[in-house]
Formats: sequence, C-alpha cells, structure tokens
Amino acid sequence: MNDFALLIPEFLVAGLAFFILALDLFLKENWKQYLAWVGFVGVVAILVISLFVESEGQLYDGLLEFDEFTKFFRIFFLVIAAVAVVISREYVESKLKYPGEYYGILLFTLLGAMLLASSAELLTAYINLELLSFGLYVLVGYERYNAKSNEAAVKYILLGAFSSALILFGISQIYGILGTTRFDEMSVAFSALPSIYPGLAVGFVLIVSGLGFKLAAVPFHMWAPDVYEGAPLPITAWLSVASKAAALALAMRLFAEGFFTVFGEWQPIIIVIAASTMVVGNLLALVQKNMKRLLAYSSIGHMGYLLMGLAALVPIVGDGTTTEKFSNLVSNGLLFHMVSYGFTSMAAFLCVIVVYNKTGRDDISGLAGLSKRQPLVSLVLVSALFSMAGLPVFVGFASKFYLFNAVGGQGLLWLVGLAIVMSLISLYYYLMVARQLYIESSEDGSPISVSFPTKVVLGGLFGVMIVLGVYPAPLMAAIQRATDAIVSGNLLSLV
Amino acid sequence: MISLAHFQVLAYILFCLGIYGVLARKSTVLVLMSIELMLNAVNINLIGYSAFGSFGGSHTALGQVIIVFVITIAAAELALAIAIILRLYRERRSVNVDEIDLLKG
Repeated sequence: MNDFALLIPEFLVAGLAFFILALDLFLKENWKQYLAWVGFVGVVAILVISLFVESEGQLYDGLLEFDEFTKFFRIFFLVIAAVAVVISREYVESKLKYPGEYYGILLFTLLGAMLLASSAELLTAYINLELLSFGLYVLVGYERYNAKSNEAAVKYILLGAFSSALILFGISQIYGILGTTRFDEMSVAFSALPSIYPGLAVGFVLIVSGLGFKLAAVPFHMWAPDVYEGAPLPITAWLSVASKAAALALAMRLFAEGFFTVFGEWQPIIIVIAASTMVVGNLLALVQKNMKRLLAYSSIGHMGYLLMGLAALVPIVGDGTTTEKFSNLVSNGLLFHMVSYGFTSMAAFLCVIVVYNKTGRDDISGLAGLSKRQPLVSLVLVSALFSMAGLPVFVGFASKFYLFNAVGGQGLLWLVGLAIVMSLISLYYYLMVARQLYIESSEDGSPISVSFPTKVVLGGLFGVMIVLGVYPAPLMAAIQRATDAIVSGNLLSLV
Repeated sequence: MISLAHFQVLAYILFCLGIYGVLARKSTVLVLMSIELMLNAVNINLIGYSAFGSFGGSHTALGQVIIVFVITIAAAELALAIAIILRLYRERRSVNVDEIDLLKG
C-alpha cells in the first residue's frame, strides 16, 4: 500500500516549480523580479511543512525509502535552496534573462536532490541523479551570450553524460550478477556470493568512478574548476553544495546499505581516491588567481575529507577486527562536516556575489581593500574562509575535529595525518585572500552598498557558522537520528 | 547457439569503443555519439542478462524495464547536449574540443 503522504514535500516542490514557470508567462517584465520572493516563500513554507510531515516508510515497493536520513537531507537541501534563491535575486536581475525559468529549473534540481536522498534502488537513484544534473547543465549555461558560460556548460554536459554512462554500465553489471538493484537485497545477495566475481568488481569500480565525477573527486575532478568559473555565480554556489551533498547522500546510502557486506573490497579504492583528492585539491588551490577557481579547488579538498570519512565507513576497529557495531561516529562526522561545508561555502560565495554584482570582478585582487569598502561582507568572507581552514570558534573547526577524530578511531591514522597537513596548507591560500581583504588597499575606495535582504542572509550565515561551532549539540542530535536510520538497518541485515 | 557470453563480449567491445571515442574524438558531436555508443552497450548488456541470466532459477524483467528508462533518459540528454553545443557553435563557429580553451588555470 502506497502512502503518498510521505512524498508531500517533493510534490510541493514540483508544484512550486511549475507554478513559477506558469506565473512567469502571465507577469509583466517589471514584475518578474518578485518571482524570487515567490520561490523563497514557497521553499520556506515547504521547509516548515516537511518538519511536520511523517517520514517513516517505503514507497513503490521499496524504490524510495523514507527515514530520518531522508528527512535530514530534505531539510538541509530546502534550507540551502532558500539561501540560494535569495542570493540569486540581485544577480539574476542584473545579469540574466528569463528569471521564471531560472527559478523553475533551480527548484527542479532541488527536487532531484531531495529524491536522491531517499532513493534505495540503483535505477531510481540514477534517474534522480539525472533530474538533478539536467537542471544544472541548463543553469550552468544560463548566461547564453557569455562564451565562458557556454563553454562551462559544454564541458559539464559532456563529462556528466560520460559519467552517467559509466554509472549505467556499472548498474547493468550489478543487476546481471546479483539479479537485483535494490540496496537491501544487494547486500544480502553479496553475502551469499562465494567470492567477488571480476564482473562485479567492474560494476563496482564503474559506479564509484561515476559518483567520483559527480563529487569532483580526483582523478575525475577536471571539470569542476572550469564549470565553477564559467557558471553564473549563484549557480556555482548551488552546484558546490547541493549536487555534492546529493551525491554524498547517495554514496552513503549505497555504501552503508548496498555494498556494506563487501567493505573490504571497496575500502582501498576509496582511500586512494580520498588521499589524492585532498592533496591535489589543496595544492592546486595555492596557485589560483580567480576567487571562483580558488573556491572550486578548496571544495575539491573538502570532498577529499568527506571521502576519507566514506572510506572509514566500515565496521572495522583499529586493531583490524570486525565488530557488529557499525561506527556511528564516522557517519555523524560525515554529515556534520557536510553541513558545515555547505553553510560556509554558501557564505563565501554570497560575499563573492555581492562584490561581483557591484564591481564585476571575481579575481582575488579584485577583493583588495574590501574591509574599508564593505566591512560586513569582508568580515563574513574572512570568517567563512577561516571556518573552511578549520580555525576554532567557527563550525569548520568543530566538524573537522569530529570527522578526523572519528576516522582516526577507525585505524586510518596516516590518512588523518595527511588531512591535517593539507588543512594547514589550505590555511595559506585562505590567508592570501584575507590579506587582500584587510591589508591591501584598492585604487577605488568607494563603499559597496548591500541591500537589506542580503544583509540578513549574511548575518544569518555568519550566526550559523559561529553558533554551530560553539554549540553544535542540537544539530548533532538530529544527525544522530539521521545516521541511526541507515546504520541500524545494516545491523539487522547482518545478523 | 548464441549465449550470454556473446552478449557480454559485444557489450564490452562497444563500451570500450565508446570510451575510446570520448577520449580521442575532436568534435563534441562525435564525443556525444561515442557516449550514445556506451549507452547502447549498456542496453545490450542488460538484454543479455535479462534473457539468459537466471537468478536463483527465476528470470526477471527488470533488465528490460531499465532499458526503457535508459533509452528515454539518453534521448533527453542528447537533446539537451545538442542545444548547448549549438549555442557554443553560434558563439564560436567551432565545436572542436581543443578549441574550447577559454577556461583554464
């Protein structure tokens, strides 16, 4: 029996997207700027509703699974989407045409991300991944008459299509050998196999590399800096948080539920990818001149930390023995760091957007003397960068500490050591930006004005960064409930 | 007699040709065609498994269901990609991969 009440938030998001697309047809040109507020109010309303909607159960014979994990990601995506819609407002007004379609497609990508977090079957996950990606392909190329935007869209769609072909071949291999594509049945089928067939290894490697593309993990990261630089700035922000968090949600559910029983096979692969991702991301960020590219490489580095957590998501403790108690610490650390990275990244991008809207510059030297021209933006930007570097008080410190501690407890101390060294290196390029903000001065000292809604969002993100860094207990309680949902399922299927 | 192995060998060859095409072709349109080749390799693989694979003695139609979705999504992806490439062509008068070099560093 299908209980469609579980899907209420998703239905509402789809409805809101169509409503904005339709409303766009009837509005006069000078009224279209208010579409952003329609989108924002709608997303906030859905956010409130989804807090109260029941979220336990399955739909469509287990293709979609609803639990606290789904609910956590759903709320996270809605919050980030609300921020993304507000920070898009001025950019869309001044630089882009067709605001109706912009917000409509943005909401469809939100729908894809939300559904991805609840997919419990490979084909369903693939379709939702494509729903997310298709919208992003369009949005990346939304500045139609800007050659850079076009180029970014072409690179993104070609590599995206290539990676989805890899994922599909992986799915076909898994289906062919296991006879099922549902995560829970997969883990049972895995444990019934006498050994891992080569065909299954091919399937696994292809799925991991396809997900690697979506997560921008080394060696599949080449598209990320180019796409980040070419895409409209608010889309870069949305892309860097939503698409990665969605792919991470899928990876967590897939590894924790589907590939759980064969963790020994996948752990070395993920370790190698994680180590190379954080090294390459952080080292290449050192030489960047453009703020968007700097943030792109820094986000690749952060993906490295998250992949490290994914690699540690195994029921092995330090001395090599297997326990039936799946480590909750690692999955908590993963979600905590993802949330912290999400808010921090949105804050950093918002500051870059404010400066870009007024000065048209997105290179690092374009930020020179910002502390005099706009102290609030400068303060928020430098806090976001310090949070990414992992300095105390800010949320980045708490989440990194938690994640590194948890991974270290799983016997991957050398990987944690590498991550700490890379965090130190990352401090260098974050401080280079801070130097521009506070020490250098610019020829043009005219103050940059910030509109009231932007100020509210800036203040809100700044508050979130501090409060979660000092007092993360309520968030950790929610994360604990979320990870219990995917972890306890495993314990049942193991025994 | 055609067996599962025939399907698999054909699928693997097509898939590898597709990957080669993606890496070696200059024109973005040909890259797209190579991606289509990879997707068709997926379909052949699924047909083979669906027809011959017996999972605990029972055949499943799941493979054929997946194929329908793959074909649909591939068509949508192709339409979107062609539209974006056309946009690039209007800006640049070229669709060659090695001439798309505005963004680097």
